Amino acid sequence: MPVLSVRDLVMHYKTKMGYVKAVDGISFDLNAGESLGIVGESGCGKTSVSMTILRLLPDNAEFRGGHVYFNDGSGEVDLVTLPEDEMRKYRWKGISMIFQAAMNSLNPVYRVGDQIVEAILNHYPDTTIDEARKKVAELFELVGLDPKRMDQYPHQYSGGMKQRAVIALALSCDPKVIIADEPTTALDVIVQDKILKEMKKIQKKLNMAMIYISHDIAVIAEVSDKIAVMYAGKFVELADSITIFKRPRHPYTFGLMSSFPSITGEKKKLFTIPGEPPNLLNPPKGCRFAPRCFNATEKCRREDPPFLEIEPDHYLACWNPVKREGEEK
Amino acid sequence: MSEYVPDERTVKSEYILEVKNLKKYFPADRGLFGRVKHFVHAVDDVTFEIKHGESLGLVGESGCGKTTTGKVIVALEVPTDGEIILDGIGIEEYAVDGFKEYHRKVQMIFQDPYESLNPRMTVFDIIAEPLNIHGIGNLKEREEKVAELLQEVGLTPPSSFMWRYPHELSGGQRQRVAIARALVLNPTFVVADEPTSMLDVSVRTGVMELMMKLREIHNMSYLYITHDLAVARYMCERIAVMYLGKIVELAETEELLKNPIHPYTKALLTAVPVPDPEYKKGEPDIMGSVSKPVDPPPRCRFYDRCPIRTERCAKEDHPPLKEVAPDHFVSCYEVSE
Repeated sequence: MPVLSVRDLVMHYKTKMGYVKAVDGISFDLNAGESLGIVGESGCGKTSVSMTILRLLPDNAEFRGGHVYFNDGSGEVDLVTLPEDEMRKYRWKGISMIFQAAMNSLNPVYRVGDQIVEAILNHYPDTTIDEARKKVAELFELVGLDPKRMDQYPHQYSGGMKQRAVIALALSCDPKVIIADEPTTALDVIVQDKILKEMKKIQKKLNMAMIYISHDIAVIAEVSDKIAVMYAGKFVELADSITIFKRPRHPYTFGLMSSFPSITGEKKKLFTIPGEPPNLLNPPKGCRFAPRCFNATEKCRREDPPFLEIEPDHYLACWNPVKREGEEK
Repeated sequence: MSEYVPDERTVKSEYILEVKNLKKYFPADRGLFGRVKHFVHAVDDVTFEIKHGESLGLVGESGCGKTTTGKVIVALEVPTDGEIILDGIGIEEYAVDGFKEYHRKVQMIFQDPYESLNPRMTVFDIIAEPLNIHGIGNLKEREEKVAELLQEVGLTPPSSFMWRYPHELSGGQRQRVAIARALVLNPTFVVADEPTSMLDVSVRTGVMELMMKLREIHNMSYLYITHDLAVARYMCERIAVMYLGKIVELAETEELLKNPIHPYTKALLTAVPVPDPEYKKGEPDIMGSVSKPVDPPPRCRFYDRCPIRTERCAKEDHPPLKEVAPDHFVSCYEVSE
């Protein structure tokens, strides 16, 4: 039974020039203890997916349809149908989030520990302050911070420490799912490495489900059990991470994987995907990747390919996928 | 159009650029009566050379002084001490005309194409501005030159880009405009400061390839500044690793990646994420976190974080950069002796 089941999620932004089709039919399942990486380029809608799931949308966002089934073991709830005050109970407690540039999401005039205590008291009003402080001390230990630092202010923390504090905050209400949106993008590699390893460890320990959102496929490779590749508002491919990296079928996945430089292995010639991602005000007809695709046919330019399961747990939206060795098509 | 003619001062040197004992200190705070009491040693005694046609990568984490090094080299910052020699001529000799000639030869490409282009200027004005400043060519010649460059950087047809404003362009296109502008005076040396780090993956490779192609066509040399070792691998023949204002290791790219010697380089290489889910990463052997080089004590800059430090490292000055294998330089007492 998946803890989170998203079906045909559609959300568009209304602008003066028309609708930006940022989330256009997204579906996936996420089990407890599992991590899903959503990889895509800036503006492909990956952050909008998480904001739609959490219903933290700006005023110009229009929810157009779809379902977000959440099940923490006590029965399935479709989050999109809940009134706002009901929904609030699921944020942080059910699904919490580590935002992009999270280090700036701490309030500079409150002690770090107090900010987490406040979150706990908000969601568990029966807790005493002492209990909450004890819980924060445990969380600090868990994320690798010295509990003595609870009573310090954010400016007394380094970038990596703030990131750890934000992770503690996200864990404070025992969520079943955490969405981490570019959690380490602003950090240097050595700190990034430590934080990612820490997050993986915590996830396994608490058997949480995680969604990592990033443009960096190397980061996604490190932390994800399965990977969804997003392009222009849609998932184009979704499979376990080894399949995505070693045997991609979608030409965009293939292009992304082959255009990424690495310090390991032989130095291969990098692949260049021609052109630029489309403007989501007027995405191309048919497959949105067709104008940049080396495999595109007439049909691709005419008809939008459906997102189908081509083998167990491997989903693909493509009329003319990359051939695998020894396969006809 | 009047092409740049090298003047009689040009002395051919083996190197396009030599940097000797370069230092750049910034005041960290001011005491009573504005006297500076503490200094950030952003660049602290850095020495390296770049050969004609070579691309040297300057790699390090944020705050290590790599961008400051670049800015001093293009004369955007005045060095505290040290020498910069361009093709055999010291940079101080270029001061007579306010570095006008120097900037014909040395250009910089910045990280953020959203900030480095004037939003009120058209693509033509942006690229032709240096020609204007240097009084090169008439309007028609400038238009021809700009069109030629747009073609070269892949913004085709040039006529459809020439009169656009930066906000009408994507990030990748803007960076191509910035590259065209850097090339308009036919420089021999370009400092590229993270030119692709703001770009999307699918666009980035194109810009990287473009820069390699242009280097060949125009016979230029690069100082390529980046935090990303994987990008440096593709763009540079040699890599210098910087830590708190010092170069701690310098070697040919593949040699540095395969046989890193300095403990910091080793830790950095272990921490770099690898785009392969089956790759088993090790644990970087490094302690603590990076500090700011404010009045650093006279010892190895890496001392606080080093896994192999000894008493000597604490007592003696920062170790000199020594050749430990052919063309492989390391600054560490423990590995170089």
